[in-house]
Amino acid sequence: MENIAGQKSALAWATRITVLALVLIWLVPTIGLFVSSFRDRDQISETGWWRSFLPVEQGLRARASVDGIEVDGNTFILTGSIYDDKEVLSTVGDARPPVVAFGNAGRNPGQFIAGETADLGDSETLLVNEDGSYRYVVNEDPGKRGPRIYFYASTPPVFSFANYRAVLSADNMDQAFINTLTVTIPTTIIPILMAAFAAYALAWMDFKGRGLMIAAIVALLVVPLQLALVPALQMHNAVGIGQSFVGIWLAHTAFGLPLAVYLLRNYMVGLPRDIIESAKVDGATDFQVFLKIVLPLSFPALASFAIFQFLWTWNDLLVAKVFLPSSEEAKVMTVKIADDLLGSRGGDWGILATAAFVSIGVPFLVFFTLQRYLVRGLLAGSVK
Amino acid sequence: MNPALQGLVTIFIGVGGCMAYFYVSNLILDKVIYPAKGPNISQNINRANLVRPWLFLLPVIILLTLYLVYPVVGSFVRSLYNRSGDEFIGLGNYSSLIGSSDFRVAFFNNALWALVVPALSTFLGLVIAQLTDRLSWGNIAKSIIFMPMAISFVGASLIWKFVYAPDPDIGLINAILTSFGMEAVDVLQIPFWNNLFLMVLLIWVQTGFAMVILSAALRGVPEETIEAAIIDGANPFQVFFKIQVPQIVATIIVVWTTITIGTLKIFDIVYAMTGGNFGTQILPSYMMQFMFRDDGRATAVAVLIMIIVSPVVISNVRQARKELR
Amino acid sequence: MTIKTALLSATAVFALSAGSALHAQDLLHPIGEGDFSWDSLQAFADKYDFSGESMNVTGATTGDDAQRYRNLYAYFEQATGATVEYSGSESFEQDIVIASQAGGLPDVALFPQPGLAKDLAANGTLVPVADPDVMVEKYAAGSSWRDLGTFPGADGETDVFGLFFGTDIKSLVWYSPEQFDEGGYDIPETQEELMALSKQIVDDGGTPWCIGLGSGAATGWPATDWVEDMMLRTSSLEVYDQWVNHEIPFNDPRVVAAIEAYGSYALVEEFTPAGPSVVATTDFRDSPDGLFAFPPECYMHRQASFIPIFFPEDVEAGEDYDFFYFPPFEANAELGRPLLGAGGLASVTNDRPVTTAFMEFLATPIAHEIMMSQGQFLSPHNDANLDIYTSDTQRQLGEILTTATSFRFDGSDLMPGEIGTNAFWTGMVDYTTGADAQSVADAIEERWKSIQ
Repeated sequence: MENIAGQKSALAWATRITVLALVLIWLVPTIGLFVSSFRDRDQISETGWWRSFLPVEQGLRARASVDGIEVDGNTFILTGSIYDDKEVLSTVGDARPPVVAFGNAGRNPGQFIAGETADLGDSETLLVNEDGSYRYVVNEDPGKRGPRIYFYASTPPVFSFANYRAVLSADNMDQAFINTLTVTIPTTIIPILMAAFAAYALAWMDFKGRGLMIAAIVALLVVPLQLALVPALQMHNAVGIGQSFVGIWLAHTAFGLPLAVYLLRNYMVGLPRDIIESAKVDGATDFQVFLKIVLPLSFPALASFAIFQFLWTWNDLLVAKVFLPSSEEAKVMTVKIADDLLGSRGGDWGILATAAFVSIGVPFLVFFTLQRYLVRGLLAGSVK
Repeated sequence: MNPALQGLVTIFIGVGGCMAYFYVSNLILDKVIYPAKGPNISQNINRANLVRPWLFLLPVIILLTLYLVYPVVGSFVRSLYNRSGDEFIGLGNYSSLIGSSDFRVAFFNNALWALVVPALSTFLGLVIAQLTDRLSWGNIAKSIIFMPMAISFVGASLIWKFVYAPDPDIGLINAILTSFGMEAVDVLQIPFWNNLFLMVLLIWVQTGFAMVILSAALRGVPEETIEAAIIDGANPFQVFFKIQVPQIVATIIVVWTTITIGTLKIFDIVYAMTGGNFGTQILPSYMMQFMFRDDGRATAVAVLIMIIVSPVVISNVRQARKELR
Repeated sequence: MTIKTALLSATAVFALSAGSALHAQDLLHPIGEGDFSWDSLQAFADKYDFSGESMNVTGATTGDDAQRYRNLYAYFEQATGATVEYSGSESFEQDIVIASQAGGLPDVALFPQPGLAKDLAANGTLVPVADPDVMVEKYAAGSSWRDLGTFPGADGETDVFGLFFGTDIKSLVWYSPEQFDEGGYDIPETQEELMALSKQIVDDGGTPWCIGLGSGAATGWPATDWVEDMMLRTSSLEVYDQWVNHEIPFNDPRVVAAIEAYGSYALVEEFTPAGPSVVATTDFRDSPDGLFAFPPECYMHRQASFIPIFFPEDVEAGEDYDFFYFPPFEANAELGRPLLGAGGLASVTNDRPVTTAFMEFLATPIAHEIMMSQGQFLSPHNDANLDIYTSDTQRQLGEILTTATSFRFDGSDLMPGEIGTNAFWTGMVDYTTGADAQSVADAIEERWKSIQ
């Protein structure tokens, strides 16, 4: 017995470790995105996100100030602090991070260690201290523009909500959010409703052409959406729907139906035959059987399809572009982000990362809400 | 009107209208056309039951015909015409496609995708669904595995850019490689293997789908059968493979089919990650190169994709026949 | 300014602000202020009144760039009383094709390049411009602009189907003047000098070039610009035109030589920060960042005039970066100093009086000046005031454009879509990652033949 117990706990641990490993593999890339959403484009293309928590040795440059120049025969002595330089101020602000290394040439900006006087040849010397103060001795009049000083400073990690501000406070973002809900909620519920009836018919009603219908539904699963866009829009224009919310509901509903029918039929067909048949024997019509028995029993399948249909319509860009008017009042979030935020700076990785995270929130809420319907109890209680 | 309110009203009308159709149409059928009373009551009930399946199917049939069947037929016809659509060239587009080496590469890659992605996604989804079932933090684990489903493909491509990028300062893989003193490589340029690295993206996304559906199915397996097996001395592996899995085979097929079909439709990943270069082209992204430019050829690719899937369709119909017997 | 024009401007202010006070606060520059050609706005305003009408414009310009166009349209609204709604879309090219097939076209479309406009002209979507000679009269090298906008229409008759608005110059090399000074490098005047400089930089321990071909589904396009520039520097303009029009095959030895001339930079391991295979995947928007690193990751970046949009936020034109003309070969001195460019085309998709007037508005100097005043816009308009440009760099670019003698348009934009926006791109990626020039050119030629 002890042996079995030992095996069991070993198995439990193996399970835990496996799940933990899988979760980590799944999570790491997403963490990368999450961290990147707090960084700007320049930072993102500079260092990996896993190093963004550490101080970075950032290469900077300043110009020696000629304001307090001392002239001593043929030598000119420039003194000051590199943190008073305008260019440096604009990048690091008042932070004054410690200087690690410095140099006088862009080609080799970290040639000398901070705090040690560097001999630049021709009796020229440069010293930059850790606090940023410098003493530059040159033997040529620098004129109005002092010579360059390059240095590495150990800058602390920088995170900001700037990307989130940009995404969330974009003009009409609230309108776009409402528009997205206006598109997604009906196009999640309506296809489920329609598909549930159809799936019931295909699973539990006997009629000619049923096999053919099932084959057709599976075959239609694979139709690339792009083929349907032009004919559907032509049709909308012909009947006067044009580009409108009604149009996108119809389109999304139709495009989601094959999978909905397919998934729901496969679930319903697995429901216990005796319950349904005994209900029919008791004189219930198909409509009643469907509403009172099959629909409640199918809740897990309905919930899981609802989750996926919601996700697809929520993240959809293509259908929204084609079936909704391009005016500001009708833009959904994905279009808003693609056209107004990323825009011609398509390479703005920070905004892209943030947008991905902002749009993840609501689908996640839906997932958590519906997840409790995916439990065993619902089925186990009523079946048997 | 306030846009939020307008949205609510439209939601209400849309959903309500749909409900009303089913309710009213059944009511009319049962009470007005074939009332279950009077002299020919049994005949009426039979007739009503003959009509009812089509009543249930009607909205789906109408929408699918208008939005999918009609475009598919139209596309097939279009695929028989030339680039500008004014000259009938028979199977010309098909023969020139099959003669093109780009197409053959895309076809081969796609076959690989259609085998590997559904297999691995379904397997991982099944394993995760089972392992997390009895863990106290199982729901958190599930949510994390599910998360990629909620991220748009553009977001997903960006995520993996931070993993695959050849620059060891940006790409995680190369950061790890270089920290072990190895040379940085561009994994998306390694012939053949780059396809697998791209598939990882889709597996990463689709496993969540497989997990959610299979998790629901596993929970539908009656406790009694499991308990009986445990009493008979079966170890957890035997319980899983001999008791649970056989009972959810139908669902596994569904998940497998759905992911296979998804794999044959998704072009975004290849489009965004490599643009189809370095021998990573697949049929959907190959089709997108022609879409809206040379519609004849684009529709021909689409038709070929549909033909490729036909074994999947046939096996599903077989399975359906079996269930109905 | 003479008294007469001063008076005119004054009346312009009055007339315009009286006309529609509603929009006055939207204007970027108050009317009558600054060295803008306000007269041309006044003359235009006097001619038209479309109060209460509205029109739609669509284009590929999005985000902050779209705002620059909206700022321009505010002046049109002010002058005519019409309202203009602009919507930009990342997927403009797909959207406009769908709209042309299914309905829902805008009134005016702004094409980022003329290739697609040509297709849409052929299927009858576009309306010819009212005054076909408008570009000849007003643009530098106007007749070549007109020719680029001339396509066969649905009836087979050729016509001018658009007005070029917004131009990019491609034959440019961006560099950091300070790093050049430090290295003691001079601006090369010939390709031979450029190659020598590249080798010199390598000898000095640096990396001469930053090249990035990555652009998602469009990966490879920056290399096509290189090849086109090389084509113009190794062959005559006639040969270039023949190549673009497929009158010579794509695998002509002269084209293969141009591809190899690109390779003489891109394929040299030491010439780029991480070698050619990384060139193929580096995003074109990220690649110029190397110019601004310390130590510099590279010293030169060949890219079109729009690239400063993608430079890091804090760099300044003239101070931190500058450009020089991508030089010609000394060996081919007879070819002169050709210029490669590209441009957007504005076309009417819905024939209404207000759209005709809108096109006329786009041809006025003031329209060009308003755009120039917002940066990142180059204009070949003869009457636009060069002082309006926001930086010396922009002004120099504008001067290059208005004084160009042999200007040629981006060839890949003029080739059929399958070639110019697909086969040529992927071919260049193949070449950069190891395929040989001849086989790449053969494959593109094969593809081109198959679509005819």
